[in-house]
Amino acid sequence: MNSFFKSVFTITIITVLAGIMLTLSYFFTKDKIAYQERQEILNAFKSILPYHNNEPDKEYEIINNQKIFIAKDNGTITGYAVNVINTQGYGGAISILTGTDSNGVVSGVAVIYHSETPGLGDKITSKSFLDLFKGLTINDKIAVKKDGGTIEQFSGATISPRAVAAGVKDSLKVINGLVGK
Amino acid sequence: MEHLLLLFVGAALVNNIVLSRFLGICPFMGVSKSTETAVGMSLSVAFVMTVSAVVSFLIDKYILAPLSLEYLRTIVFILIIASLVQFVEMVIEKTLPELYSGLGIYLPLITTNCAVLGVALLNVQFKYSFIEMLIFSFGTAAGFGLALILFAGLRERISYSAVPKYFQGMPIVFIMAGILSLAFMGFSGMVK
Amino acid sequence: MIKNIIINGLYSNNATFKQMLGLCPTLAVTTSAVNALGMGLATTAVLTGSNLSISFIARYIPKNVRIPAYIVIIACFVTIIDQMMKANFYSLHKVLGIFIPLIVVNCIVLGRAEAFASKNNPVYSLVDGLSVGIGFTISLFILGSFREIIGSGTFFNMPVMLSSYDPLLIAVMPPGAFLFLGFLFACKQFIDSRIKGEK
Repeated sequence: MNSFFKSVFTITIITVLAGIMLTLSYFFTKDKIAYQERQEILNAFKSILPYHNNEPDKEYEIINNQKIFIAKDNGTITGYAVNVINTQGYGGAISILTGTDSNGVVSGVAVIYHSETPGLGDKITSKSFLDLFKGLTINDKIAVKKDGGTIEQFSGATISPRAVAAGVKDSLKVINGLVGK
Repeated sequence: MEHLLLLFVGAALVNNIVLSRFLGICPFMGVSKSTETAVGMSLSVAFVMTVSAVVSFLIDKYILAPLSLEYLRTIVFILIIASLVQFVEMVIEKTLPELYSGLGIYLPLITTNCAVLGVALLNVQFKYSFIEMLIFSFGTAAGFGLALILFAGLRERISYSAVPKYFQGMPIVFIMAGILSLAFMGFSGMVK
Repeated sequence: MIKNIIINGLYSNNATFKQMLGLCPTLAVTTSAVNALGMGLATTAVLTGSNLSISFIARYIPKNVRIPAYIVIIACFVTIIDQMMKANFYSLHKVLGIFIPLIVVNCIVLGRAEAFASKNNPVYSLVDGLSVGIGFTISLFILGSFREIIGSGTFFNMPVMLSSYDPLLIAVMPPGAFLFLGFLFACKQFIDSRIKGEK
């Protein structure tokens, strides 16, 4: 019994010490991590939205529980962006950020994270694929060619592009609710 | 429904945990010398993987996330898996001694099987719902078993072949795994 | 003694090529030289930290709970490295993804804790952690460089091949990892047999 108590005691001490160390390191790094994460999303906004000088992650409206980020140039609205997570890919969730100009025409699409198959499905992050969405609106048929749409899927992978197309389409629907107003 | 089926196929075949995600390579290389042991290992892993995925999913969702203790995730998950393996080992030993004598030797190895911890972490990262998580974990376990048993069959065959001198031993095993992985890539064109 | 530890860690007992440990990250993150280097150094940091602290406290831990105790200590170091990388090398951290938390179950780390650090003094354990880690990093780096040069035609993201070179995509795809590692193992056996033959 004594040795049992000693074992439990040792493990408890080690676990508590580890917990304290981790909490300390968490508090030392959390601001910097939050900064990096924010920087990533701001850079993504820069790459997909028309020129803006505000911080879209701080100016947004919520429609149907979906945040619509608003890009402004000196107070004039220049575009909108919506981030959706589509789980229809092969490798789990794909996070898609879609940007439009103030009329709801797609100005750019970015994939924030994904885990599609390297070499095949991960071509969804390539510029040549994402640029296919530019200029489309809610009235276009946004789907891969196999489904009768305009987006060229690449050889060996239909599922991943299809998931991205679905994500863009969902985003445009949300944005359209705001543009129409 | 179609979505869940796709999830299962994706987890088991297209993004096979061993051949495409590279998790659980150690048991894949270590216990694939005969089909018999491969079957035993696959069953133990399938069981531990599914149960530990459910437990860690619930703990993450109802304890860690509400208290914003996400940074303790790794340490908590590995403790869950280690204690679960210990627990399963004890239960099987007491209740099903026959099964224990068959699987017993594999159970301790599962703690350091990165596929088990990997699935628990992927479930969180992919933000799955409970049912999606269940399908994904089970599909992954099925994929692990399939790859392991197929590979064990291949290795039994290759042991009778004349392999070039410098490729004997591990090199040919890896090249075989590469070809099996190539074959599994064919599944990505399966869903039209 | 120290010289032996270093040679063992770097070459004669190399984690990847001799002991076949830590194969999951070896295959998964070696799609480019940078990733391979990042993963190798992260593992080295964890290995050195866990080796050092385990060699200090090993004699106070009862035998029957030593493995769980080591796992907790290793998981603690892994999480700290994870947070530090996320704060300072955000994009590398994102590429390496779940393979950073998975250092916990990397058999090299637990293996060194059990086989070396628990039986040796802190100085030796520190040197052992560093040299095994660097040996592992070198193996990853070799594989990563080959795969990047052949599969993408670049090295550290700089084009190194003629512009007419059409990258052999399979090298960076999952099957390429197995195939390339298989060929590297064959090369190692060839070199070893040549060294033996000359003696």
